[in-house]
Amino acid sequence: MSKKQNAVTTSTGAPINKKPLSTRIKNNLGYYLMFLPVLVFVIIIYYWPMLGVRYAFYEYKLRNINWVGLKNFQTMFAKKEFWTAFSNTLQISITKLLITTFASVLVSVFLNEMHNMFAKKTLQTIIYLPHFMSWAVVAAIFQLFLSKSSTGFVNETLKSWGVLSTSIDFLHTKAMWRPIFYMINIWKETGWGTVIFLATLSGINPELYEAADIDGASRLQKIWYVTVPALMNTVIIVLILNLAKVLNLFESVFVLYNNRVFDVSDVISTYIYRQTFLTAIPDYGYTTAVGLFKSLVGCVLVLVCNWASKKIRGRGII
Amino acid sequence: MAQAKQATMHVQAKKPKIHVFDVVNYIVFVIVALIVLIPIWKVLVDSFNSVGVYQFRFWPEDFTFNGYLTIFTTVRLYRPFLNSVITTVLGTLLGLVLSTLGGYVLTQQDMPGRNFLSFFLLFTMIFSGGMIPEYLVMKQLHLVDTIWILVIKHGMNVYNLVLMKNFFEGIPGSLFEAAKIDGCTPMGIFFKIVLPLSKAALASIGLMYAVTVWNDYSTVQIYITNPDRVNFQYKLRVMIMDGDTPTTAYKVSQNTLYYAAIVCAILPFMIAYPFLQQYFVQGVNVGAVKE
Amino acid sequence: MKKKALSLLLSTAMVASLAACGNETTPATTDTQTADNTTATEAPATEAPATTDAETPAAAEDFTLETLNIVVDGTLTATVENGQDAFKEQWEAAVSEKLGHQITLNINQLDHSDYSGTVSRLLTTGQPGDPDYPDALIMSATMLRQYQTTGLLWDMADAYANAEFQSRVTLPSVNENMKDNQGHLYGFAPTYGNGCVTYVKKSWLDAAGMSIDDIKTFDDYYAMLKAFHEKESGTYGVIAAGYGKLDEAPYINYMPEFWQGAYPSFYQKDGVWVDGFQEQATIDALARLAQGYADGVIDPDTEEAGTKQAREKFFSNDQSTSEGVFTYWAGTWLRTLTTNMEKQEVDNDLGDDRLVQLAPIQEIKDTWGGYINREAPVWVITDDQDGSNAREQAIFDALLETMLDGDKVQTLWTYGAEDVHWSTKAESFTTNADDPEKKKDYEYADGEFHLKQAPNDPNSVWKKNHLDPVLVIAPLTNGFVDNDELVQAGNKFFTENCVDAPAAASCDTLTENEATLVELKTTLMNQAVTGEITPEEAIAQYQAEVGDLAQQIVDELNAQ
Repeated sequence: MSKKQNAVTTSTGAPINKKPLSTRIKNNLGYYLMFLPVLVFVIIIYYWPMLGVRYAFYEYKLRNINWVGLKNFQTMFAKKEFWTAFSNTLQISITKLLITTFASVLVSVFLNEMHNMFAKKTLQTIIYLPHFMSWAVVAAIFQLFLSKSSTGFVNETLKSWGVLSTSIDFLHTKAMWRPIFYMINIWKETGWGTVIFLATLSGINPELYEAADIDGASRLQKIWYVTVPALMNTVIIVLILNLAKVLNLFESVFVLYNNRVFDVSDVISTYIYRQTFLTAIPDYGYTTAVGLFKSLVGCVLVLVCNWASKKIRGRGII
Repeated sequence: MAQAKQATMHVQAKKPKIHVFDVVNYIVFVIVALIVLIPIWKVLVDSFNSVGVYQFRFWPEDFTFNGYLTIFTTVRLYRPFLNSVITTVLGTLLGLVLSTLGGYVLTQQDMPGRNFLSFFLLFTMIFSGGMIPEYLVMKQLHLVDTIWILVIKHGMNVYNLVLMKNFFEGIPGSLFEAAKIDGCTPMGIFFKIVLPLSKAALASIGLMYAVTVWNDYSTVQIYITNPDRVNFQYKLRVMIMDGDTPTTAYKVSQNTLYYAAIVCAILPFMIAYPFLQQYFVQGVNVGAVKE
Repeated sequence: MKKKALSLLLSTAMVASLAACGNETTPATTDTQTADNTTATEAPATEAPATTDAETPAAAEDFTLETLNIVVDGTLTATVENGQDAFKEQWEAAVSEKLGHQITLNINQLDHSDYSGTVSRLLTTGQPGDPDYPDALIMSATMLRQYQTTGLLWDMADAYANAEFQSRVTLPSVNENMKDNQGHLYGFAPTYGNGCVTYVKKSWLDAAGMSIDDIKTFDDYYAMLKAFHEKESGTYGVIAAGYGKLDEAPYINYMPEFWQGAYPSFYQKDGVWVDGFQEQATIDALARLAQGYADGVIDPDTEEAGTKQAREKFFSNDQSTSEGVFTYWAGTWLRTLTTNMEKQEVDNDLGDDRLVQLAPIQEIKDTWGGYINREAPVWVITDDQDGSNAREQAIFDALLETMLDGDKVQTLWTYGAEDVHWSTKAESFTTNADDPEKKKDYEYADGEFHLKQAPNDPNSVWKKNHLDPVLVIAPLTNGFVDNDELVQAGNKFFTENCVDAPAAASCDTLTENEATLVELKTTLMNQAVTGEITPEEAIAQYQAEVGDLAQQIVDELNAQ
């Protein structure tokens, strides 16, 4: 981390040419040309769709497009489903963030205590693995494992141990859905989450541990008084970074939810998706309005987190 | 003081004593590793097992290849797989080209408008048009219902571009100055100096693109309706959710086929992963955790 | 800081200028579309040709349909892996010959489970003239009701009346009933709807010491399910694709014995529209289902199962976790289910008597009168709203006129491609050659019409393509019949025991809220059946959440 920052400062610290603007433009003509393809893609993929947010103020059904002003927003704020989705998004996203971060910190701290390099590397290789599986795959695996059929791994195993008497339809039970969702997230992302913490831990000054040794600290005490405090800053940064993205929750929920558990699982993006693509004759204007609301709230969150990040570590997140 | 420290370290390193803490630590990690590995191993074993069992087995009871044979002989299954391969290769190439070009240009300190261009890119990370406007644009570009949507959608990732830029900034500026004095054009510097020095970065970022494109499911769900043009992730999901299994000449149980399909959906990265792990990890810049 | 502000300003300006360009072009086109649309929907269809008389005749003669894009669901059984290319090729050859010019057929067969959502996406974001815009597509009766007021569909009443196949139509009422109250025909049904009958496994009945003729009332039926549930530890009485299929009329056809006279949607009762979901009959039906669920006679997989999963579990090789009763489509499906049981080696000693059909129980007879014959799915043609009928008529001629030509093309739609799905050449083949028990030989003389082995499965014989020969409204004239006694018996049984489904409701508010209502009703139904809430609570919650909306829909329907 510190190495990279150093690099940035050296290159920004380099003396900047103070030639006239026209000369500078001419000198850099080649660079502008090289940037052109990037610019074209950015405009097409990101900026052109931004024009489409105007549909938030229209009724857009089949091929009829009529101006309706703020009606879509009024409809949205009056809908119970919308508010359910909104509060679910925040609850699920934030809980998930806290739980997986905690799990990652825990694993990193203890992984840091492992001094056999071979064992450590092997473990890292293993626990990073699930991160590279798509949500479609992870959902497929766990849906098969959690199913009620005679080949359902979890139900049948628990039954054979005598823990359960009858099968539970885990993903279709309201009380179970969120815990299962968090567990799957822990399984998939904990390992990968440790990468950033391990990087921080490898940067801890060994003198701190040595000083603790001299003071006669036990292993656990060293963890508690040296390792954990050293991680706190990174933990806060990770939380802030991810807080900015809490509204983006989509695919992980989409592949695991179902209409039995809409109450506890429906998030804004899945709500938009269903209203847009699974409705007989959808109003694209209304769903664009919901999307715009999500984008705006997300925008505010990013700016707030950016501000917080600047306060804490001196540089923003964007 | 320094000598004393070295001495303590020396002593510690030599101490052959087995600590209770270490034992517990190892046991905990064996459990953690098992939690991760058991589901993956079960998937693998069951994909070769012709009988569906709920139990965890170390080895298939009745070995069969029919799950895989079915996938690679059924057009509705192998075509999505090919689509996945094609889009991943092209998407990765496009992504690398755009992010290296963009990242490189943005390192030019004295280029007028650099800050504006940076902001122009970064703004897209703050605000987006949303699902429907994006869909309508893709529709106008005639990209809806084609496999190219996967290439185009992921070909330009601002976040990866910024990572690339950070890598380039680590290259000593003196090299560029020397090349400029030698009369190298921007493109010349790019190809002769920047790219050869960034092989590790290219590998990391390339892998990030590849993983993103290969693993994408929701883009297909939203944009593609023609079953000939879906990717393998989508097909896998449809197959398991809708119980939509093809009838084939091979005798294969539904369970075997499902697990074989899951293995196919993770296979490329499972093979590459042990060799390329360092590049995967490098891609994670401090201060950025990908969702 | 200054720089930041400047770049912000610049980028805003850039976005604004982009927006300006966009505004000049896009809304302009959309405005004209809107205008077109209103004229198209407001002007009665009979007037439309009159106003554009001057240019239409010329256009009609000039229009040549070179490509035909159709969107189909799974009912086109000649799928890609099942010889669709051959079907397409032979269709193109036959139709090109009929029309006197080359025509290309593009088939977009959606494998989405949400067919209606995908269709709305295609129709909303596409334009007639786009290379992938559907010219014609299949719609369910419910979808037809939703779309027929939108102006996107072409009124084919005239084309239908003047069609060449009219002389051969034996069931004219099917399409007469499709017309709206002004006589417009937006969808064309080449077959009648068909419905579901209750199939019972003969071996299970025998094992329980029961006879199908003794099952006359719901109590008898329930006792039978109970006996089946007690057969083995993992067996159940009945399975279906959902306790009720609330997103597809006629909703109750997979569990008719439990639903009986209830109809959990809007329907006309003595000429007045009512919301059947709020009626006592629905509460009673939910109570029966809940009882059945609690007693274990209904397989709990019913809740999540799609039709494919339900039927696969029914004829599964592992009968120890199967069910004894399955209510499913009549006629051809009796054959398909039996064949599948044979394939899975279930009850091989019973041959074609594996399944017996249950006559409607007394409670169904007293309410509906019999099993419900659903409203047929239809083919619709998209209207490009250019005031001329040339394109649309050309689509009708190329697709629907030929589909019922009684001959070559109709055979393609009925049985599939020649020498791929069926043949008249001398041939002999064997299915399951390596399994002495299931092995079956087929031998046909030259000139004898017969179905061949299925392209993707040499162990089964091909059955039919899109049109069911026994349901079609104008029969084949070339004498190609697949003489399957089981299909004919099944079909006869259904026609003797069926009544027409109530007409589907359609009004703007309903269309708008259909998805929300279905979602809510399905959730409440599932909760009530699994005992999370009582049926009364389910209906009360429905009334609390959407009672006003339902009333508004009822009022709107009654005002029509």
